[in-house]
Amino acid sequence: MMKTETSTAPAPAAFEPRITAFVCNWCTYAGADLAGTSRLQYASNMRIIKLPCTGRIDPLFVLKAFENGADAVLVSGCHPGDCHYTSGNYHARRRWTLFRKLLALTGIGDDRLFFSWVSAAEGQKFADLVNDVTAKVRKAGPFCAVHPGRRAS
Amino acid sequence: MKALREAAEKLLREKRVSLVIGYEDRKGRPAFFAAKPEDCGRLAYDASCRQNLAAYLGKPEIRARLPVAVVAPPAVLRSIVVLTAESQLPPGQVLALAVDGDSFLGTFDAAGVAELLRAKYSTLAPEPALLERVQGLLQKSPAERAAFWEAEFSKCTRCYACRAACPGCYCSRCIVEKNAPQWISTAALGHGNYTWSVMRAFHQSGRCTLCGACEAACPQGLPLMLLNAVLDREALEEFGSRPGYDPEAKPLIGSWSADDDHSYMR
Repeated sequence: MMKTETSTAPAPAAFEPRITAFVCNWCTYAGADLAGTSRLQYASNMRIIKLPCTGRIDPLFVLKAFENGADAVLVSGCHPGDCHYTSGNYHARRRWTLFRKLLALTGIGDDRLFFSWVSAAEGQKFADLVNDVTAKVRKAGPFCAVHPGRRAS
Repeated sequence: MKALREAAEKLLREKRVSLVIGYEDRKGRPAFFAAKPEDCGRLAYDASCRQNLAAYLGKPEIRARLPVAVVAPPAVLRSIVVLTAESQLPPGQVLALAVDGDSFLGTFDAAGVAELLRAKYSTLAPEPALLERVQGLLQKSPAERAAFWEAEFSKCTRCYACRAACPGCYCSRCIVEKNAPQWISTAALGHGNYTWSVMRAFHQSGRCTLCGACEAACPQGLPLMLLNAVLDREALEEFGSRPGYDPEAKPLIGSWSADDDHSYMR
């Protein structure tokens, strides 16, 4: 059958990364809010999950995100010294330093797992960060091929 | 061997302990619990003893029989120090019958164990072959690493022998048994196996003494020590952490310093 001009079959969609962001309530979430109220345009690939503090982000959350379809994970919170709870981000930092090496050994490297400090005043930094992370993950491609941490679909 | 048996017998005869936890003189060197002085003739130790007997110190059955003595090669001595630092051992209730290779080093209390380790074993390091395997794996591409672990974790039957063998795994309720919400799938399938092994290793970071008991206990032969070794190396390089030497040490995760590295943070 000849293909007509009016075919409604959708074109194969380009890869759109799904990125899960775990952010703290007081700095990065407020930074993201500022990016929004400042009408900054940035990639729409990030799904933000707000938590009280980066210290609340259990490494299990990251594994759960990858398990359920995230192509990348971003963890972001207050700059050192700025934590609303004085030391939550310091606790988190030490945890991530170790955990990222463990994940790297199992094949989840720097192109899938991102960390940042974004303050409530850094709306522009947040927008740039999202764009940059999205571009990197787009380049890295979908996280699905064969990984033991992924839920079989 | 003879010196070990005599020392154990002496402790029981003098009623300084009510139980000696050791290895039995038969094939496979299973754990042996000597409650009477005359049992001590069945104790043995050699390099084939890979179980970490400090894992028993958290069990309620053993707790009910304190004070006890444990046959302990260097890695187990370190486990005793870790448990002391984590306030898991009632003071003065655990003695170590220190052994190394063919030699019996003596009977030590908690303070003595720390002293012995500092004096004689301050340079204990992971086996070079283990670190080479870690390095070899890190040199592969992420996809190859994922494929490697996919093949390994698919063998896991979720028997939790790794957990039972580990002196660090003493939580009365493990994260894998929590089901509201269920964080780790308990089916012996891909992602649950992965999450379980990764989190098990992570919960030991800064606490693992690389005794190798988890890997030795694994009936499926998973290379669990690769996970432990990469964390051990990172904890040492980043934070100078050497678990099992200082009975007053703060937990590595659970303490922090404003100077910790964060060069990977954007």
